Amino acid sequence: MAASSTSTPALDLSWLNLYDDATSATPGKKGMTLKEINLGRYADSARGPGDSTYRLRGAIARANAQRFGPNYQSKADVWSENCLMLYDEATQRQWSSARDIPWDTLEPLSDEIERAMCQLCTMLTEVEFIAGDVPGQWMPFVSAQDFEAGLFLMSQIMDEARHTDVFRKRALANGGGLLAQGSGLGLRTLIEARDFTEMSVLMHVQAEGFVQSMFRMGELIGQTEADKRIFRMSAQDESRHLAFGVMHLKYVLDTEPERREEIHHYLDKAEGDASGGGSGDVTFPPVFESLCILLGGGVDRFDEGVQKFLLLRKRQINEYVHRLAVAGLGDRRERLGPLMAQFLEPAS
Amino acid sequence: MSQSSTTTEIPQEARDRARSLGWEEGLIEIAIEQGHSLQEIWQALRGGVDGVRARQFLSGGGFVRPDPWWMKVPTEWGIRARAADPALGLSIQDLMVGTYGDVPDVWTNRTEIARGSFPATVGEDMGYTIFDKAIVWADCCVPLYEIAIRDRWISATDLDWASLEPLPAEQEKAVCQLMTELSERAYLEGAILSGWLPAISYGYLELKLFLSTVIYDLARHAETFRKRALANGGGLGLQAPTDYSRTVAESRSFVELMATLFVQDSMLLTLYESGDLIAQNPLEREMYRLCARDRQRYMDYQVERMKHFLFKTPERREEQQLYLNRAEAKLVRDWNDPAVSEPLALLLAGDSRRMDEGHRRLRELRKHQVSAYLANLQRTTITRKTLNGRLQDILNA
Repeated sequence: MAASSTSTPALDLSWLNLYDDATSATPGKKGMTLKEINLGRYADSARGPGDSTYRLRGAIARANAQRFGPNYQSKADVWSENCLMLYDEATQRQWSSARDIPWDTLEPLSDEIERAMCQLCTMLTEVEFIAGDVPGQWMPFVSAQDFEAGLFLMSQIMDEARHTDVFRKRALANGGGLLAQGSGLGLRTLIEARDFTEMSVLMHVQAEGFVQSMFRMGELIGQTEADKRIFRMSAQDESRHLAFGVMHLKYVLDTEPERREEIHHYLDKAEGDASGGGSGDVTFPPVFESLCILLGGGVDRFDEGVQKFLLLRKRQINEYVHRLAVAGLGDRRERLGPLMAQFLEPAS
Repeated sequence: MSQSSTTTEIPQEARDRARSLGWEEGLIEIAIEQGHSLQEIWQALRGGVDGVRARQFLSGGGFVRPDPWWMKVPTEWGIRARAADPALGLSIQDLMVGTYGDVPDVWTNRTEIARGSFPATVGEDMGYTIFDKAIVWADCCVPLYEIAIRDRWISATDLDWASLEPLPAEQEKAVCQLMTELSERAYLEGAILSGWLPAISYGYLELKLFLSTVIYDLARHAETFRKRALANGGGLGLQAPTDYSRTVAESRSFVELMATLFVQDSMLLTLYESGDLIAQNPLEREMYRLCARDRQRYMDYQVERMKHFLFKTPERREEQQLYLNRAEAKLVRDWNDPAVSEPLALLLAGDSRRMDEGHRRLRELRKHQVSAYLANLQRTTITRKTLNGRLQDILNA
């Protein structure tokens, strides 16, 4: 190892003799995706025990490798069965807030409508900022044995950056500006999580689920084609994050059913029998009021807006409960706090 | 939405809030009996509707109209950002107008407030630790963010995987060993950079956006190199040496992290730029070209950040030399590992029987890497006083 930099070192070449099994992944219909290389001893199903290094799954361990600090050793801690597909989808469906939004379709709106839209965008750019920090916080703890989950989280960081920028762009593109900071949006609960699954169920399933339900009402909220496109494109990204969270939760419940009550406990805290808004709280007054103005079509149609807001809230809660049921937490509906439970439709 | 107070559980926090706003006892129940949903009542409570107004509304019916105070907050209004470059579209550079373009030298707000919005009177500390522009900022991060998005590529479809043809076994194993190392280095760097995002406050939003593109690029590099290793009759080899990477992970501050990463980032950029020398086929040439393009953006940021940092904090110039000393020493240890040097030598020579020639070419490549590294440092205004002895030997050879 102490060979001179200017002379030829003695040859070792031991790295040529570490394995004999040849692997030849072939591209599929969607090219050379992660699924195509998830094969043989490199597949997630062949995952061995983890270590505390960044050795990627299937690479041969060095005897002298140093540890990098604790990370999750169990696959269930971070895994989601759809993370390969979701990462590949993320790479295929990246979009540009600069070029894929028809900014030229923006047109002057009444002052109150523009202000309501800008207030909503102020809240959303704030929320999305945190949504990038949260997966970032957990990346060093994701084992490289489960690197596809890590790749997905890195794609999510990119998605959230785009969302942060697109809502800021919208606020500054049509004669408006940013307005009041969100406060009490329930965002601290996301960054406070001390466990990956806690984080995922609060952020991916609850917070992003609520945001997704709202974005899917973007046709009613948005006032211009540009606004509607923003909500549509963002909803597409949120669907992936949500799908990761639902399937991660399902994986945990399937493989570690003893964690069920622990997960309920996280949700008990976050749903709160108190504020009841959950993470990414749309009941924060400036957000609630701006949504009602946008949904109703003006301050003078606020009552109409309130009724649509209640429909939005109903949709948020029922979709949330449905997603939890898909993940295997169907009994959640019996434990919702009163502010959420009021919107619950009877179980089908 | 009509509900009966006998079947509606009223949260204690709602009762507490009603009491603090002067709602008389039983008013919530009256509202529910009149057909108002718990949500409407909660919104009125969150909106600060006092007991007198609540009673008035319940006497007259209808929802309590809010006072949209947020419409009147004194932020800069009337902004119409327009795309300066229609080909690039509406960029974040175009948003740097008026007060929204003011990136403060020191950011004082400890919440997640969007820069330019009106602060709440009180808010919880979100735990950010980086509040100084000098530590993280480079003006180029603003345009580079949109360029990164414009220039993104997809490993699954933008590389012609079907074009791969079998290589001699030793060459294939050399490619695969190199891919194993590069994949791990990319993944590790992405993971560690990701871990620093929550430290950076909203004052430097554009920098965080740019770092997000870097993280995404590194994810793509990690999976691309893995794909190459598994696509042509090879496999993953020995994991990367851990000396340099541990130093990265050990960084106690963003400043140290960036100085440490500077060394490898520059060396890898030069390696990728030299991809034609080690590529065994057109796919690999294209792979290195695309990775080099991504790495160049990151290097541009690294150089400008360091230059800006040194300009703003000249008293910390010597400190950087310490980080560089350490990082160079660890990188050289990694370079001397046979599983790092020999695959490169073999690829450069094209045959394990010509390893002397391969090592000679590797020394040339290393010399090129070190020269480019010093040139990049020079761009930051750092003149390396105590370049690692082994790197100096490479340079002198």
